[in-house]
Amino acid sequence: MGIITTKDLNLYYGDKQAINSINMDIEKNRITALIGPSGCGKTTFLKTLNRMNDTIPNCKITGEVIFDGINIYDNKIDPMLVRKKMGMVFQKPNPFPMSIYDNIAYAPKYHGKKKRELDEIVEKSLKAAALWEEVKDRLKKSALSLSGGQQQRLCIARTIALNPEVILMDEATSALDPISTYKIEDLMGELKKTYTVVIVTHNMQQASRIADRTAFFLLGDLVEYDTTENIFVNPRNQKTLDYVSGHFG
Amino acid sequence: MKTQKVYLYNSIFKAIVFFFALVTVLSVILIGVFMIVNGGPSIAKVGLKDFLLGKVWNSANEPPQYGILAFIVSSFYSTFFTVLIAVPISILVALAIGQLMPKGLGTVIRAIISLLAGIPSVIYGFLGIIFIVPLVQKVFNLSSGLTMFSSVIVLIVMTLPTIISVSETSINAVDKGYMDAAFALGVRKEYALFTIVLPAAKSGIMAAVLLGVGRAIGETMAVMMVAGNIPQMPSMLKPVRFLTTAIVTEMSYATEQTRGVLIGIGLVLFVFIFIINSIFHFFIKKAGAVNG
Repeated sequence: MGIITTKDLNLYYGDKQAINSINMDIEKNRITALIGPSGCGKTTFLKTLNRMNDTIPNCKITGEVIFDGINIYDNKIDPMLVRKKMGMVFQKPNPFPMSIYDNIAYAPKYHGKKKRELDEIVEKSLKAAALWEEVKDRLKKSALSLSGGQQQRLCIARTIALNPEVILMDEATSALDPISTYKIEDLMGELKKTYTVVIVTHNMQQASRIADRTAFFLLGDLVEYDTTENIFVNPRNQKTLDYVSGHFG
Repeated sequence: MKTQKVYLYNSIFKAIVFFFALVTVLSVILIGVFMIVNGGPSIAKVGLKDFLLGKVWNSANEPPQYGILAFIVSSFYSTFFTVLIAVPISILVALAIGQLMPKGLGTVIRAIISLLAGIPSVIYGFLGIIFIVPLVQKVFNLSSGLTMFSSVIVLIVMTLPTIISVSETSINAVDKGYMDAAFALGVRKEYALFTIVLPAAKSGIMAAVLLGVGRAIGETMAVMMVAGNIPQMPSMLKPVRFLTTAIVTEMSYATEQTRGVLIGIGLVLFVFIFIINSIFHFFIKKAGAVNG
């Protein structure tokens, strides 16, 4: 059993069902990619993993998401603690409008880290996100002065600062240029040694380059979930074959 | 041929826009010139120092005394307390209707608040006379409830809608991505609102405060009805006269000489608002530069 297991997970926006009875096992210290055409439910599914859909009105979820042996949709669970353990990086880089240092220190400070611990956390997190060398001389500068790719790595560092177990990335490179994308893909390879990484991507090459396992979603269904090689080289399902060979999408 | 036509339209449009911009600027300059030409000589006659720092105003005396220090201090005093109380309330209300309440409820409250902004000030004055003045009289056991305190309360109520709606607009304009990010870090909404969203909306909120200050210092009708209108150095529980109300009170029966002095008071008000605006614009620009 993996670090995250979903059991019969359904999600409805009002009357409309957006994901249908997903059973999936996400393995620890691996990169799992969720692929599929727009509107297939891959991002929605990703957001059920750290309960980000809680903020959406009329959104109803049934089934279970077992994380570290606990169902995170249990009534007794504080969703804030779930999110602390499962970091998330968004499609559009969204550093806070404050200094680079404060961006990283913000959440640890909120969660009770002492002031003297912060310097070390900031340095460690920036190093882990491969951004330290570029920003170490201007930690007090506004994070918004960084380039898009740097901002995204800052967002990754901000997530790492809480020392999560899982990092969820929602098309984290789709707004970036190829070089920045390459750097982040490279970084993901490093991150999976410490964390479990789940990415949503509409870029199939990216999934085939970096993911260990790939899940193909279509119209809210999990069509096929296997090692990345099997998905791309010999998929069992005809629809998967059509999608990965570019017949639709 | 066609491009020439487009070019012609463009220049006509530009000329029209430029013309109206010019009209706006010219009106401000003309007002300034009018005030200086009409009020300046009278101020000079009284003496700038006696005018601004004189504590006694008695236009009926022979010779008349034209010291407006009491008016200046009263205006600043009341504006200061109005802003001090109205701004925190407004920011909390703006956060509540834009960020914390269910959408429907927020919309209803927003509509009511914008309605409040449109009510003529004389109505607020009436409400002040009917409800606040007797209440103040009773609570503080005064011979009359026509006091600075009553006018500050009226001013707070009057400035709230303006500050709320402008600061709400700037709070709602803050990138929603910040809240998502804070949420994903396990940070509670209320904390994120105060530590990320409010600082990001700082320049807009300052513009809102500026509007509030302008309204508080310039308001005439409503405060005239509840302030008691006696020219003396201000105190919270005494009747006071403001710069604005000083002009209105005596304008209708002023002698030639007094009329000039009253316009001089207008000039003082004009200069004050100009200075306050400049200070705020400096801070707004600075706040904008930090965020950008």
